[in-house]
Amino acid sequence: MMEKRIRKIIADMNKIADYDISASVSRDKIVTLNGTALYWKQVVDAGHKVANVKGVRNVVNDMISKDIKPNIIDYSKKIKEVKNNSISESCDVVIIGAGISGCAIARNLSKYNLNVMVVEKNSDIAEEATKANNGNIHPGVLAKPGTLKAKLNLRGNEMYTKLSEELDFELKRTGSLLVFYNKKDVNKFKILKFLKYTGIGKLIKPLSQAMKVPGMKWLNTKEVRELEPNLKGEPIGGFLLTTMGLVEPFEVCSALAENAAENGVTFKFNTQIIDIVKEKESIKEVITNHSTIKCQTVINCAGVYADNIAKMVDDCFYTIHARRGAIAIIDKNRKGYLNTPVGLMSDSDRSNNSKGGGASVTPEGNLLWGPNAVEVYDKEDKSVDAVDMDYIIKLGRGVTDEVKKSEIITYFAGIRAADYKEDFIVEASRKVDGFIHVAGIQSPGLASAPAIAEMVEEILFKQNSNLEIKSDYNPIRVAKPKFRDLSHEEQDKLIKKNPKYGNIVCRCELITEGEIIDAVHSPIPATTIDAIKRRSRAGMGRCQGGFCGPRVLEIIARELEIPLTKVTLKGENSYVLHRQSRV
Amino acid sequence: MNKRQVDVVIIGGGPAGLAAAIEVKKQGIDNVLIIERDSSLGGILQQCIHDGFGLHRFGKRLSGCEYADNFIVEVKERKIEIADKTIVIEITKDKVIYAMNEIDGITEIKCGAIILAMGCRERTRSQAFIWGTRPSGVLTAGTVQRYINIEGYLPGEKAVILGSGDIGLIMARRMTLEGIEVKGVYELMESPGGLTRNIAQCLVDYNIPLHLSTTVIRTHGNKKLEGVTVAKVDKDRQVIKGSEEYIECDLLVLAVGLIPENELSNQLNINIDTRTKGPVVDEYFMTSMEGVFAAGNVVTVFDLVDYVSLTGELAGRGAAKYVKGQLKMDKPITRLEPGENVSFVVPQYVRKHNLEEKLPLYFRVKQKLEKVEVTAVGNDETYYKKKHRVVLPPEMLVEEIISSNIKEGDKKITVNVMEVSKE
Repeated sequence: MMEKRIRKIIADMNKIADYDISASVSRDKIVTLNGTALYWKQVVDAGHKVANVKGVRNVVNDMISKDIKPNIIDYSKKIKEVKNNSISESCDVVIIGAGISGCAIARNLSKYNLNVMVVEKNSDIAEEATKANNGNIHPGVLAKPGTLKAKLNLRGNEMYTKLSEELDFELKRTGSLLVFYNKKDVNKFKILKFLKYTGIGKLIKPLSQAMKVPGMKWLNTKEVRELEPNLKGEPIGGFLLTTMGLVEPFEVCSALAENAAENGVTFKFNTQIIDIVKEKESIKEVITNHSTIKCQTVINCAGVYADNIAKMVDDCFYTIHARRGAIAIIDKNRKGYLNTPVGLMSDSDRSNNSKGGGASVTPEGNLLWGPNAVEVYDKEDKSVDAVDMDYIIKLGRGVTDEVKKSEIITYFAGIRAADYKEDFIVEASRKVDGFIHVAGIQSPGLASAPAIAEMVEEILFKQNSNLEIKSDYNPIRVAKPKFRDLSHEEQDKLIKKNPKYGNIVCRCELITEGEIIDAVHSPIPATTIDAIKRRSRAGMGRCQGGFCGPRVLEIIARELEIPLTKVTLKGENSYVLHRQSRV
Repeated sequence: MNKRQVDVVIIGGGPAGLAAAIEVKKQGIDNVLIIERDSSLGGILQQCIHDGFGLHRFGKRLSGCEYADNFIVEVKERKIEIADKTIVIEITKDKVIYAMNEIDGITEIKCGAIILAMGCRERTRSQAFIWGTRPSGVLTAGTVQRYINIEGYLPGEKAVILGSGDIGLIMARRMTLEGIEVKGVYELMESPGGLTRNIAQCLVDYNIPLHLSTTVIRTHGNKKLEGVTVAKVDKDRQVIKGSEEYIECDLLVLAVGLIPENELSNQLNINIDTRTKGPVVDEYFMTSMEGVFAAGNVVTVFDLVDYVSLTGELAGRGAAKYVKGQLKMDKPITRLEPGENVSFVVPQYVRKHNLEEKLPLYFRVKQKLEKVEVTAVGNDETYYKKKHRVVLPPEMLVEEIISSNIKEGDKKITVNVMEVSKE
């Protein structure tokens, strides 16, 4: 039945001149697509169409299109070289990727008598999708019922309260507001209310997830106005999901990583996995660009590259396609203009595959417009174009006309790591002992991270019954002082204790030299200007580092005892200074 | 926490603040304090090692550093108190300042009057809406100037400059002298943004091409800048398809404008002029908050430091008078409004009874015109007329009206710049 359906889909597509596709279905219901299309978008469409067929476990989409240039890097020489140089390390568990999933898992595993290494190709944690996230801890209402996403989102959201207490990061449960401008929408949601309170909704499958979400509130016009006085037009009602939380995604990731590091996890940056070696069907070692690491377990949290990693152990049953999203940040002068992430009913017809942006807020009070969603072939393509900006400004305009384009202080893009089932993949490999897939983690990956980590912990526990909790495990992490949040008396005391807190380096965000030094010497050291920015906020304000950039650069060089010309903006060759003018 | 009381506090020790402080002291107020966040006075002038400063005031061409030194020496001679490496983190509406530094921690200062002299800041890559990636190697012109002139480091080998404002032009020459290959200066507008003399001395003399109606639309390179895409724009500043060109470079210098720095002013909720992006000021450059004055580039971005010093002095005299109770705050006020081909006028309003002998008006034209007449027109009388051969938006106009000419009770004076009809 399933195969017949797939054959039909492929045949239909091949009728269009743009396509030339062939498909094969494996015994475990993995569909592999080969062939060509004219445009990349068509490649992605084909993948989705096939993945949507009932019974398909996942899709490996090896198609290419005429508008892309495949960039395949051959690591075979490098692998040989590393194998020969005989720098060898060992540990119990290698976690690939220091994004939100990798760091959350590292922290959960740090409680056990395990030697855990997190290996990251970038120079810092959270360098990819995590840092480009809008920080919404979603209530879980949008996830498709019955998916892993649906389950982990609900659980993750719930876990955040305790997590924020243990790890001392800011979590604001602001709720998220869906605004109604017409009677039809109000009535639609009145029906939902009825279904929820009578329990009838549980019987309706498409609503089964929504029925599980706690903290729903139906607001009248006055209540909407009180909550969000600056909305445009005349809203006549709203639907509030009170469990929506706001966090700084980087802060969460760094809190997890720091706590993991304090409990003994090793983080290796600028380290890329180029091969994984099996012995029979068990993990033997991983090969990085520097060394070989012997280990029993590999946890694949490689984000957009999870499929590449899975290929290294011949257990790749999914393809990750990059879905880019751009976000614009509005000047803090608008702090308090919106209090919750706001959505409009008109937005809900957008593709279900990516989390709808619109207007959101950061815990610091900056408004965010976006993100949008664009399928791109190049997994490194984090560029923002005029069309992206036009679209996200339109999203913002839906909520208010007052905030002007000129109030945008910066914009950036991140890449969502989507698979074709558009669900999370968190499972032990069915082929290779010691390999765990954590793939397809896109929105709501941040909200789900604690639950993903919990699930991986359970998987590992099943495989390894002699895991023991360390006697000295400490789940508590204390954040460094944030000067800007203190009263003048407290600020005064802090400066008297350490005069470095008396020197403001970033004047837009009021960040002191003390905080920058703290960041350089934190459990996960910040070694680049961007790493400092993300930890301390220096350079995040409206001048975007114009004033503090040179000063931060000097502090990094001084604290790390390296020349100014060796300090980078974001790792690799991203040097700021070329050479001294007079030697 | 330390607490103290000061008659006049000046925030910022750049050219505006220095001139203001000297003037306050000259007026007989001894309890004056300059708060400066840097370790030395002079503000941005410290990194302006090129010449051309002070032609109006000193009648000769000085470097920025020399210009500042003239004032710094006088500040020291007059024994004006300086709090250096000190930053103001809060101002309250009852004129209490919270300042901080490494040694004293937080100090609460009750002020008789405050002069805001924080200067301006540079517009950024994002504010210029350049598309593409966000690699290293994209810096504002002021930052590049600091790296080269103060730190002694070069931030690249091959540079493209976006923006033909004075800072962009100065940096084109400076980088060339330091051995950086400047591939060109690109300007979105049809005419250059900087002073004519700078076009000649900084570009023409060094064979650096200036591309008008052309802009940088995209940066390339994920980690380090590898190149930029430039493109021509039409009259509506829209990119002309097909005119795109890739230029290899490792440094993009942004000289895309300056914005008055009014973070502290915003804390006070004072009125900001949307045209100047600075506070609305009166005859003594007092803001809408009584006893809080503004001077220099906080008010509007001036193109000559001489003007900055003049406004500093004016605000200084005003603050001294205010502290002595000699300013009459009552109405009536006369508004000064931009009229034909004028984009803004500073000050925005005056009280005739407080005016000094002459009332200087600072304004810019909207577009380039030749053979024009500047007029300042009251209700039914023209107070001022002056002919100019050519007027350009980048060159600020300063005209002085004889105050006694202004009629008591005039609600509004309009400043116009119009072509002289061919008679």
